[in-house]
Amino acid sequence: MAGTLPADPTPWHERRDAGLSDSTMRRTIGTVTKRFSTGQRQVFNGYPEGATAREAAVKAKRQAIRDLDTLLPRLRDSVETNGGQTYLARDATEAVAVVVKIAQSRKVQRIIKTKSMLTEELQLNQALQEAGLSVVETDLGEYIIQQAHETPSHILAPAAHKNRDQIETLFRDDAREKGITPPNSNNAESLTRYARQRLREDFLHADMGITGGNFAVAETGTVVLITNEGNADMVTTLPSILVSVVGIEKIMDTWETLGTIIQQPAMNGIGQRLSSYTTFVSGPRREGVVEGPVEWHLVLVDNGRNLLRGTEFEDVLSCIRCGACLNVCPVFRQVGGHAYGSVYPGPIGIVETPLLTDWRILPELPTVGCTVCHACGEACPMEIDLPHHIIQLRQEKVRRHLVASGVARSYRWWAKMWATASGYQRSLRWARWGQRLYLKQGTLHDAPGIAHGWFVSRNMPPVASETFHEWWLKHRQGGT
Amino acid sequence: MKPVQLFVTCMVDAFRPEAGIAAARVLERRGAALDFPADQTCCGQFSFNAGYHHEAARLARHFVHVFEGTEGSIVALSGSCAAMVIHEYPSLIAEDVISTGGTTGEAADWKERAVRIGDRVVELSQWITQFTENSPEVPNPVVSAVLHQGCHMRRLLKANVEPEAVLRQAGINPITMDDADQCCGFGGTYSMTEWKVSTALADAKWYSVKKTIHEHNIACLTSADLGCLLHLEGRQSRLGETFPVMYLAELIDRADQGMLMEKGETDGWDTSR
Repeated sequence: MAGTLPADPTPWHERRDAGLSDSTMRRTIGTVTKRFSTGQRQVFNGYPEGATAREAAVKAKRQAIRDLDTLLPRLRDSVETNGGQTYLARDATEAVAVVVKIAQSRKVQRIIKTKSMLTEELQLNQALQEAGLSVVETDLGEYIIQQAHETPSHILAPAAHKNRDQIETLFRDDAREKGITPPNSNNAESLTRYARQRLREDFLHADMGITGGNFAVAETGTVVLITNEGNADMVTTLPSILVSVVGIEKIMDTWETLGTIIQQPAMNGIGQRLSSYTTFVSGPRREGVVEGPVEWHLVLVDNGRNLLRGTEFEDVLSCIRCGACLNVCPVFRQVGGHAYGSVYPGPIGIVETPLLTDWRILPELPTVGCTVCHACGEACPMEIDLPHHIIQLRQEKVRRHLVASGVARSYRWWAKMWATASGYQRSLRWARWGQRLYLKQGTLHDAPGIAHGWFVSRNMPPVASETFHEWWLKHRQGGT
Repeated sequence: MKPVQLFVTCMVDAFRPEAGIAAARVLERRGAALDFPADQTCCGQFSFNAGYHHEAARLARHFVHVFEGTEGSIVALSGSCAAMVIHEYPSLIAEDVISTGGTTGEAADWKERAVRIGDRVVELSQWITQFTENSPEVPNPVVSAVLHQGCHMRRLLKANVEPEAVLRQAGINPITMDDADQCCGFGGTYSMTEWKVSTALADAKWYSVKKTIHEHNIACLTSADLGCLLHLEGRQSRLGETFPVMYLAELIDRADQGMLMEKGETDGWDTSR
């Protein structure tokens, strides 16, 4: 069944214009994405093991997706053997209900979280808050956007659109409200120190932790979390109840295959050989151990993922959320993540958003978000064929009549004319005759139909008084 | 003499025939026995990228039909159009045959024909580097040009040394700009349907070009793809600016004729031709 994803109700042109007119965001996103993509290229230099591992990871992940029907029950068995509880949620509503119920039945009040795109997809925080619970994001980037009441603009770096001055202002407002000492400057160290001091309290008082999961190992029943801040260590050990919310596509069969893929998010996301912290959760606190959660609940979420299996888009489920496709995408760099209106922006978001929801939301994305430059296809470490998927989705829109009928007619007419030599020649003669209306000083300044868009901001030379065809016929006596 | 079929592309044909004429001269000077199959139209990439695959397939079949009866290399005056024929035609046509009621046998037959055509297609600078005696680089290039490498040249054809090599052979010093791997924003009809983003990308590209012009002594902006160049030129024309923009073969043709000279004498070349 199709999944449910949140969608910004603002129309695309407004979202796009908001992005294009936010010069601070464009500068910040430009710097961050360039740093990440340069890092990705550099980290593989002189590290052939990393490249070999990546190739093995692609194979292992593809196989794991094919084997999902056996890996899923195997993972659940392993987790339950370790003393955890498992749940399978078919969609967002079911997933959210499971987590809210766990919290409510255990009289939870304060929740701390690690960064998780899946919980953004499920709008879990919103549901928990509506149920009267306090939820605090403990990843620095997530903490910042939570303070700002915003959503992530980048799947790896959620606050990538914000600069230090904006973050300082947020923290100063927070300090004033709480009556505490504000950060003493806008440098990264004092901002981080401020957040750390604020978060420490939340870590110590929380009665429930929620994590996502970068990978889940079926063999041992282990959820793997990758962070650069160590916050996942705190979230998974301090509160007495731990809930991990993990997409069903995250399952790897064994530790051996985990070994091939574990470096890839950091290598491709930020250009580091390994994330600073890698946290493994394999069960609740065992007898005789003094630390760790008393209960561990693993909520496995489908929310549209199974729809992709067995289709030409199955490779999309291999995504490791490294953000490499966003970092190299020219459109993403211009409009930023929020313009997409989906939890998942950039090339992967263009592809996933319509597919996971069976086109229920944001059907414009494949059309508006891609120049077909193929940079994402080159950058994706999991070899997801993003450029072709985007083109396929455009074709799907044509098939489903999700395009303006006038535009579709233009393309049909164009193909009909240009599929013959005489039609082509005739259409150029017509254009040469018709363009007189739009000529200014020898340059075209406008044209009718879909070509009009070009002329809003650009000129074009006119159709030449002698085309190459005509030149050849005249000067080379008929050519062939 | 090497037989060459010239595939000029619709954009060169209609909007910049001089670029095609220059390419014809450049090819013939390098030993091409040139022919121009006059029934050629357009490769169909505009439609393909926009998702109109049946429409694109009609043009693809026409292309295959036109070039099938000819001999030798098919030299495309665009890396992007060359990539379309080489990489997309076989499956595009085969899928269209099936979806319009053809048999799998017919689809396989068309696929094979498309592959055979694709095998013969090269972009102009590829042909020059592959099929001509490598002439030595001119030791003291008189002119520098900012080279914009189109996305499909870069990522689909992976022709990342050829344009530079042919420019150097012609005595032109190719300069790479900052963020050279970023798209210029053209993207076929994307430039029309999503003109705002497309224009923002053109402006970002011009920003990089201008930074390069400022740092080096640059005569013009050049590329192996006229689509990108018309987009960038069209943008600066609207802004009232006039920095020279030349298709690769136009630049080489001038170099061949000894028309390039030191910057300062003129604006980089003699345009009185």
